[in-house]
Amino acid sequence: MPVEVILPKVDMDMTVGTIAAWHAADGDRVEKDAPLFDIETDKAAMEVESPASGFLHHICAEIGAEVTIGTPVAWIYAEGETVGEAPLVFVKRPVFEEVPRDRDEPAAQREDAPTLTDKTRATPAARRLAASEGLDIAEVAGCGPRGRVQAADVERMLKGPEPDRSWQSARGPLNVLYSGGGDGLPIVMIHGFGADGGGWKALEEALPPGHPLFKIELSAHGRSPLSRIDGFRDLAAAVREAFDALQLDCVHLIGHSLGGALALALSATRARKIDGLTLIAPAGLGPEINGDALFGLARATKVESLRPWMQQLVADPGVITERFAKAAMQSRRDANLRAAQHHMAEALFPDGVQAFDMTVALKELDCPARIVWGRRDRMIPWRHALQAPGTVALHLLEDVGHLPHLERPELLAGLMRDLR
Amino acid sequence: MNVQADAVRTLSYAEALREAMDIALGADQRVVLIGEDIGIYGGAFQVTGDLVEKYGEDRVMDMPISELGGAGVAVGAAMTGLRPIFEFQFSDFATLAMEQIVNQAAKVRYMLGGAVSVPLVMRFPAGSGTGAAAQHSQSLEAWFGHVPGLKVVQPATPEDAKGLLLAALEDPDPVMIFEHKLLYKTRGPVPEGAYLTPIGKASLRREGRDLTIVATAIMVQKALEAAEVLAGEGVDAEVIDLRTIRPIDRETVLESVRKTGRLLCVYEAVKTLGIGAEISAMVAESDAFDFLDAPIVRLGGAECPIPYNPDLERAAVPQVADIIAGATDLAQGRT
Repeated sequence: MPVEVILPKVDMDMTVGTIAAWHAADGDRVEKDAPLFDIETDKAAMEVESPASGFLHHICAEIGAEVTIGTPVAWIYAEGETVGEAPLVFVKRPVFEEVPRDRDEPAAQREDAPTLTDKTRATPAARRLAASEGLDIAEVAGCGPRGRVQAADVERMLKGPEPDRSWQSARGPLNVLYSGGGDGLPIVMIHGFGADGGGWKALEEALPPGHPLFKIELSAHGRSPLSRIDGFRDLAAAVREAFDALQLDCVHLIGHSLGGALALALSATRARKIDGLTLIAPAGLGPEINGDALFGLARATKVESLRPWMQQLVADPGVITERFAKAAMQSRRDANLRAAQHHMAEALFPDGVQAFDMTVALKELDCPARIVWGRRDRMIPWRHALQAPGTVALHLLEDVGHLPHLERPELLAGLMRDLR
Repeated sequence: MNVQADAVRTLSYAEALREAMDIALGADQRVVLIGEDIGIYGGAFQVTGDLVEKYGEDRVMDMPISELGGAGVAVGAAMTGLRPIFEFQFSDFATLAMEQIVNQAAKVRYMLGGAVSVPLVMRFPAGSGTGAAAQHSQSLEAWFGHVPGLKVVQPATPEDAKGLLLAALEDPDPVMIFEHKLLYKTRGPVPEGAYLTPIGKASLRREGRDLTIVATAIMVQKALEAAEVLAGEGVDAEVIDLRTIRPIDRETVLESVRKTGRLLCVYEAVKTLGIGAEISAMVAESDAFDFLDAPIVRLGGAECPIPYNPDLERAAVPQVADIIAGATDLAQGRT
């Protein structure tokens, strides 16, 4: 029996396909799995492989012919098999065509019908509470099943972001969250622009235990005061003052992005107190920065506008789920905070350019240091890392974006396992 | 004064019912007990006990084995001035007396323009758990809750068993009392003398913040047991004993849901088309809807006749562990 060659269904809503090309002619020898013909649908062009080895006969769909899926278009005969008349073709009409076309479309497909996707899943109690507080339910990140917004989510948003219970705030010009005893080397962390102390969570959990952790929150970020920052020097001074207030003798410093530049600035003035340095995609090593994303993030007032820019921060956009974006938007609810950050962005990155240069501080570093950078960083080019002198270790990570501490916390913590 | 005498007196549920009937028989000559084997034998579940010895066979009357006939006698007696208490051996046998209950007792007052009423009390040993299998273990109360003209109560404690039976006797219309068989031997405080537990009024058995459990009959006891375990796990459950399913106490349920935002209905009858659906709809149709912070959850009996195998019999109705699991998921926002 010859083997039927049928027109396959290659995408979900395909009903017919057009033969675009034959790679073999009637009577040719064909090999199983070798390309046999091409089809075009209204969406795509596809190569179809031969279902068997043998000789091709009875091609019944010419190039350009529109063929219903499942219909035989040719037959393949085994070597030595007698080639007779083309077999009869019984085409079973696809089921979907039996549905009368003039039927009413389901409500969900009508244009005026509200679609479920633009509806927020929220409990009546959450809606009532949000409405009474003048809050848009769509802005609330739902922690219930399938992302459902429950009353507690609205309450949490109304209360504002809450620091982890084990974290306390230290006195000083900036908010510093610290946690944990242990006699390991204290670690001081400085986050990047638009983030806050909460952004370190994944890395914290991966770091070896026993190190007291100090998270400095930048001006107009997290719970730090909304002070006006007119330039990098202002911000570096505030960080220095906050660091001094901690009265630590010897620390390991981690800085991300803008925090990396600030860590370099701190190393320059407090060299004796810095035992080592981990710079994650640090700013200040070249003029280029993704200004669109930077100002887009600073301006965003809605989850819909924030999320696409957040997705620029990571290699895999799937990491930035809607829930994650909603949570980030929650911490940016305060219009004054957004305005202060926007002002800061204009001062630090005028015209989308890094207006401060830390390459000298990097070259003069007097302590062991490493730079960790994702090769798919779309905010700051990873090649800025090449400014580093040979004494600085470079870890240039494949398939990682601008947030290695979020995208690969275990890997990053692994690099730091030699901490005293 | 003797302090010991003031201590709370406890009776079993069956004893409390007997005491109510004793009080009524003693106080009102119109009260008669009618049923199968309620005389010398003392009732299928020994609820009437020795009342026949005290009041005689004219007041405590054994009937032939015909539920339809007996119920007809009781309806007629009620219409003509007596205050009969009719005992069914098993609530399942109400099916044999449907005509008298649904078409006569429930309708007569309406069809005779209020000229006649049927002050009939019917008692039904109900529910599963005794290994009595499919024809002797059902919970059919919701069937009758669907009939205007009937009142349906499900006491969950000895105190309410007595109070609701006395209240039923005061009521001018037919009242059906569903007594869960596993409750008969449970003990609890029961006040002395005559008192009435209002028909149509639920009882808040336990206050809580996190969720409302509305339960009926023996499920009240299971829910209270579950609530104690839940309290140890940080879930503060409020437990409402519905007590009456017709007329239902809407406001007590709604007020609780407005407070907790979460509702779990627990009942032994088959889950589908049951009392849980009624309570759920009642909340959904009310202003309390806006306070719901999770989908409503119903725990009811399995969609099958009650099995004879004791393990399957237990599995066919909600147990304490099921209530704990359901309430925990609900309170922690996992539903």
